[in-house]
Amino acid sequence: MAATDRPREAVQRGASGQKIKLADRWRGYKSHHRDTIRISLLKMMREPVQTVMTVAVIAIALALPAALYLTVENIQRMGSNFESSAQITIYVHKEAKAETIEKLQDKLETLPTVASVTYISAKQALLEFKALSGFGSALRYLEGNPLPAVFLVQPIVLEPIDLAQTKDLVAAITELPGVDDVQIDMQWLQRLHSLTEVGHKVALALGATLGLGVLLVIGNTIRLAIQSRRDEIIIVKLVGGTNAYVRRPFLYNGVLLGLFGALTASIMLYASVWWISSSIADLADLYQSQYRLAGLGFLRFLMLMGLGGLFGLVGAWMAVSKHLKDIEPK
Amino acid sequence: MICFDNLSKRYPGGFEALKNVSFEMAAGEMAFLTGHSGAGKSTLLKMLMLMERPTSGNLLINGKNLNRLPDSQIPIYRRQVGVVFQNHQLLLDRTVFDNVALPLQVSGYPANEIGRRVRAALDGVGLLDKEQQKPVALSGGEQQRVGIARAVVHKPRILLADEPTGNLDPELSGEIMALFRRFQNVGVTVLIATHDVNLIDRMQLRIMRLEGGNMIDDGADYGRY
Ligand SMILES: Nc1ncnc2c1ncn2[C@@H]1O[C@H](COP(=O)(O)OP(=O)(O)OP(=O)(O)O)[C@@H](O)[C@H]1O
Ligand SMILES: [Mg+2]
Repeated sequence: MAATDRPREAVQRGASGQKIKLADRWRGYKSHHRDTIRISLLKMMREPVQTVMTVAVIAIALALPAALYLTVENIQRMGSNFESSAQITIYVHKEAKAETIEKLQDKLETLPTVASVTYISAKQALLEFKALSGFGSALRYLEGNPLPAVFLVQPIVLEPIDLAQTKDLVAAITELPGVDDVQIDMQWLQRLHSLTEVGHKVALALGATLGLGVLLVIGNTIRLAIQSRRDEIIIVKLVGGTNAYVRRPFLYNGVLLGLFGALTASIMLYASVWWISSSIADLADLYQSQYRLAGLGFLRFLMLMGLGGLFGLVGAWMAVSKHLKDIEPK
Repeated sequence: MICFDNLSKRYPGGFEALKNVSFEMAAGEMAFLTGHSGAGKSTLLKMLMLMERPTSGNLLINGKNLNRLPDSQIPIYRRQVGVVFQNHQLLLDRTVFDNVALPLQVSGYPANEIGRRVRAALDGVGLLDKEQQKPVALSGGEQQRVGIARAVVHKPRILLADEPTGNLDPELSGEIMALFRRFQNVGVTVLIATHDVNLIDRMQLRIMRLEGGNMIDDGADYGRY
């Protein structure tokens, strides 16, 4: 073995005896990443049909569960809006004396979870009924007043909605003297609750399924990209490109596809919300409601983008780890 | 610098392309590797590129046994070797400049350094005016010279060439050999596989002869400078 005048570590570095300065290496590394992204973008633009189709599939797969999620969330908000108008109606005993009724009113007003109490006497109730029902003349033939006096109680609404608390309140009121019957229409609220819960779960399941689809779509696109650049991979490996170097453009490609998909999905969601929300606002105004449609919002836009990028990275990684190792110079 | 120690290579399928090959080359030495088609010349160069691993025997580079080099270190090893391929293996969708720049890019050289070195290498093979062309727009000989520029651009310590003058006229082959000579003079070990008899005759160089996978003459006592 012939002696050599070069230091041995130079061989290990492989930089032909001339070390690259660390700062230069870092600059080279950064500009390499920039170039990789630029070249990835150029390559995607050079195959516009393939790129647009992949991005569209990813966008739809991300937008569907997100739209379902937004719908469920809006229904939930609508429910809590109604909940605040969920009055408790208390029918007073017909035989109850005036002082019992007064005491009952005091008691109701001191209950901790009650926001307001309104008293409607039997006479008032009859007048209102006459005016509203149009049965005015028929009622003249009735002996006396068939309607009881009524308290309307507005409970304090907590966020998040606490159905148990409302139930406790109803139970407490039923026990009070002078109370004949208590009514609250809570069943539909409960139904709404379980419905939105189901909706959330469906959105999650759909998201998981379609997320898997996104992974496969990206994985397949990257697999095709790897195959079409086989020669290039071999040459890069022969001139000393590491596996990480070979991998990088494909990973960037996956991330870019995911990000573009998420961006398109966000635009689709913003557009739909914008389109629907004007009709919703008109509808809400009809009911004197302040209710407005909740859109994607900036935070969840970022979340969607992050998710898209992550799916892209994972999908590309799966393809790369499966197909790159088969490509070795021979 | 290069030391083959009883190295044999059997391809999957059973064909023994190299049989107990032993030879040494000192740093800064330049030699021809010759033999009939199918003698194992390309296989021998592939061993030096770690494109193939020996079936038995050892290959030492600068005293280090490549058999013990883990796969993760292969890219680092390859960066000190330059190769000119029998089929020049250029990337057809990239410019001449980008093709030549590749070995520097994978090693993480900064852009200005890459530009300087690539132009120096292209100047060396007389293709400075073609740097923005695509390889398909070049003649066979010009493509070959791009391959040579790429092999030397990172100033390798070992330069391997498989039929580097295959497509070149005698005058150009002479120039390419002179270029290789310049590298040898700055300490690069150069090994050229060829059956270009004219070329071998013109150069006073060590000649290694392979026949059917056997090293019948390692030329160690011949034409050594
Ligand atoms: N990957 C492979 N698998 C199986 N056999 C191979 C493989 N590569 C080469 N061979 C065989 O090994 C022998 C030597 O091949 P090699 O390419 O080294 O010859 P060569 O000396 O370079 O020939 P040429 O001058 O034609 O390029 C040939 O007979 C070839 O068929
Ligand atoms: Mg050959």
